[in-house]
Amino acid sequence: MRFSVLFHSFGYLTQAAGVTLALSLAGIALGFVLGTLVCVARLSGRRWLERLGGAYVSVFRGVPLLVLLLFLYYFLATLGLDVPALVAAIGGLRLSSGAYQAEILRGALNAVPRGQGEAATALGYAAFDRWRLILLPQALRISIPPMINEFILLIKASSLVSVVGIAELTRVSMNIAAMTYRPLEAYVAGGLFYLAINLSLAGLGGLAERRAGIGAR
Amino acid sequence: MTHPMIAMRAVGKSFGAHQVLRGVDLEVQRSEVVCLIGPSGSGKSTLLRCVNFLESYDEGEVRIEGELIGWDLDKEGERRLMAPRRLREMRREIGMVFQHFNLWPHMTALQNVVEPLVRVRGLKKDEATGRAAAMLARVGLAEKAHAHPQRLSGGQQQRVAIARALAMQPRLMLFDEPTSALDPELVGEVLEVIRALAADGMTMLIVTHEMGFAAHVANRIAFIDGGRIVDEGAPRRVFHESAEPRVRQFLQTYHDRNAF
Amino acid sequence: MNGDVLLRYAPALLGGFGVTIACWAAGSALGLAIGFAVALGAGAPSRALKGLLRVYVEILRGTPFLMQLFILYAGGPSIGLKLSATAAGVVGLGLYSSAYFSEIFRAGFAAVPRGLIEAAMSVGMAPGDILARVRLPIALVAAAPPIVNTLIVMSKETVVLSIITVPELMYQMQTMAAETFTAFDAIFAMAVFYWCLVEVVSRLGRRVEDRATAFLASRP
Ligand SMILES: Nc1ncnc2c1ncn2[C@@H]1O[C@H](COP(=O)(O)OP(=O)(O)OP(=O)(O)O)[C@@H](O)[C@H]1O
Ligand SMILES: [Mg+2]
Repeated sequence: MRFSVLFHSFGYLTQAAGVTLALSLAGIALGFVLGTLVCVARLSGRRWLERLGGAYVSVFRGVPLLVLLLFLYYFLATLGLDVPALVAAIGGLRLSSGAYQAEILRGALNAVPRGQGEAATALGYAAFDRWRLILLPQALRISIPPMINEFILLIKASSLVSVVGIAELTRVSMNIAAMTYRPLEAYVAGGLFYLAINLSLAGLGGLAERRAGIGAR
Repeated sequence: MTHPMIAMRAVGKSFGAHQVLRGVDLEVQRSEVVCLIGPSGSGKSTLLRCVNFLESYDEGEVRIEGELIGWDLDKEGERRLMAPRRLREMRREIGMVFQHFNLWPHMTALQNVVEPLVRVRGLKKDEATGRAAAMLARVGLAEKAHAHPQRLSGGQQQRVAIARALAMQPRLMLFDEPTSALDPELVGEVLEVIRALAADGMTMLIVTHEMGFAAHVANRIAFIDGGRIVDEGAPRRVFHESAEPRVRQFLQTYHDRNAF
Repeated sequence: MNGDVLLRYAPALLGGFGVTIACWAAGSALGLAIGFAVALGAGAPSRALKGLLRVYVEILRGTPFLMQLFILYAGGPSIGLKLSATAAGVVGLGLYSSAYFSEIFRAGFAAVPRGLIEAAMSVGMAPGDILARVRLPIALVAAAPPIVNTLIVMSKETVVLSIITVPELMYQMQTMAAETFTAFDAIFAMAVFYWCLVEVVSRLGRRVEDRATAFLASRP
């Protein structure tokens, strides 16, 4: 292997890593809003809302992201939209991540001991305050590790948006491979960028976990 | 010259900096029943587990019928771990019953007993099954042979565990608090099985908190505290005339707790 | 959807379906085998081996599957490793999933209560027998649900193989779409297909789990 060829591409790759991060961040943030809504729907106690939320999770966890991305891409194109690629990319990540985050949040809420809510009720908290002050903070804390895990998964999944032509880490690696005729070095370099991002995230996750005292139990 | 079934000499054992056994001397003769009593954390389980080398000891010797278990001594007296195969051969002759039964959950009661007979004793499947069924009948569980452990009561599980150990035809049985995990009304059925074994002349070393049972079944009581055997002798003497204040205090606490 | 078009492409699509299932099965089988070996190795006393296997798992879990496929398929030839797209796809899927399977097996082995192993040791069972007769069956019970989950995840990952031109279902669909300009319909059909596949496999998986763990049913 000769990585010297790639020396000139380093800046290019760094930039692409930034795009990958930005895409994933957008996906996870928008997905969080969506996931919260779906989770609320699933716990709303209304039959049809619960069904709807369940169907959402089932569909968007069942359909592979690549299929979803292409679907959105062509769908938006048939609508005559101008920026199908970026919208499809972020939309796909968001829709998919929303389904996973809804499940994470639901799991976390279920993991808050029953007695906590009951104690709050017994102390005379209003329903809204009970949620805001007692249940949500605990659930969010419980959901930190799986959320970080989800972010790592999303960063990996974002490599698929290369198929709609967005210049993120995978696409750029492909371009470099094509330009330099050194596919092995190009893809290993791209892989190392992913690895660096994900290991840092995992490390940060461990840190946050210890901070929040989750490991202590 | 015949050797004692178990001979422990100056046995010491530490977990890190924490010394759990100190200079333990203990002998168990053939067909003898010795009960080991003492406060929680005093090292009873550790001592018992050194006998079949589930726990390795750091100092001293543990001999089973004269043969050192766990270690090989070379000419200079240096110790090296004994060959695993030889250790397994020795363990076959030592049955062990655990506080939490440790039955294999994916096998029926019968399969639990058959398994070691086939794998370790090398019996044919039907011969093993015959012996296992007989053994289950002996502990009063013939009709539970095809039940999985989860479907048995604690007392029944422990009796299966005893059958599993007995079927190997060991020369010696070790019991680590065999009734401590049982509901009070189930203790009797397990103790009854052990009592019958004693009557048959089985050599046994039993860790127990059942003082009445110990007084009745044991030839000898050994009291352990802080990793040392502090008193040892006939049940009557240890229970009623021990000069050792720690023994008296332990028994007093026991009586207070069990008085109505 | 246009019935004629579908009919015309039916053989190719059926073939693609077969390739998808075959890649999935072969890749997963490879992944299970490697993952099991890695988990066993991670339980060995050797520090160096443990560290090495840790690195293996972290690399495979820390990088996208697509990237690994590119390295294998496009990068392989420069170190003399020439694989067909399909072979690269199967090997890639096997390596990628092995990282996940090994973690599952590791957790499964860790979940075997120590006492059950000690019981086997106390009757003098040999390590191989203890592994085969006690540790493995119990570990598998703990591992069954996450294994099924990972199998489902991998069934979805097979779509990615189309990118390196493995002639699996997605690839055939795209070919059809390109030739007939029915992209929207084709991709919609794919979405429905995978959703059904995942639902069916999840349900089957739950059945198998129930079977495997029947003996753990609660006491009467
Ligand atoms: N594997 C181990 N690692 C570290 N310390 C241990 C280990 N096993 C036992 N110990 C310690 O050794 C001491 C003796 O333990 P042991 O289990 O032999 O006591 P015991 O007399 O059987 O108590 P109990 O009546 O509660 O069963 C305890 O302080 C215990 O914490
Ligand atoms: Mg104990």
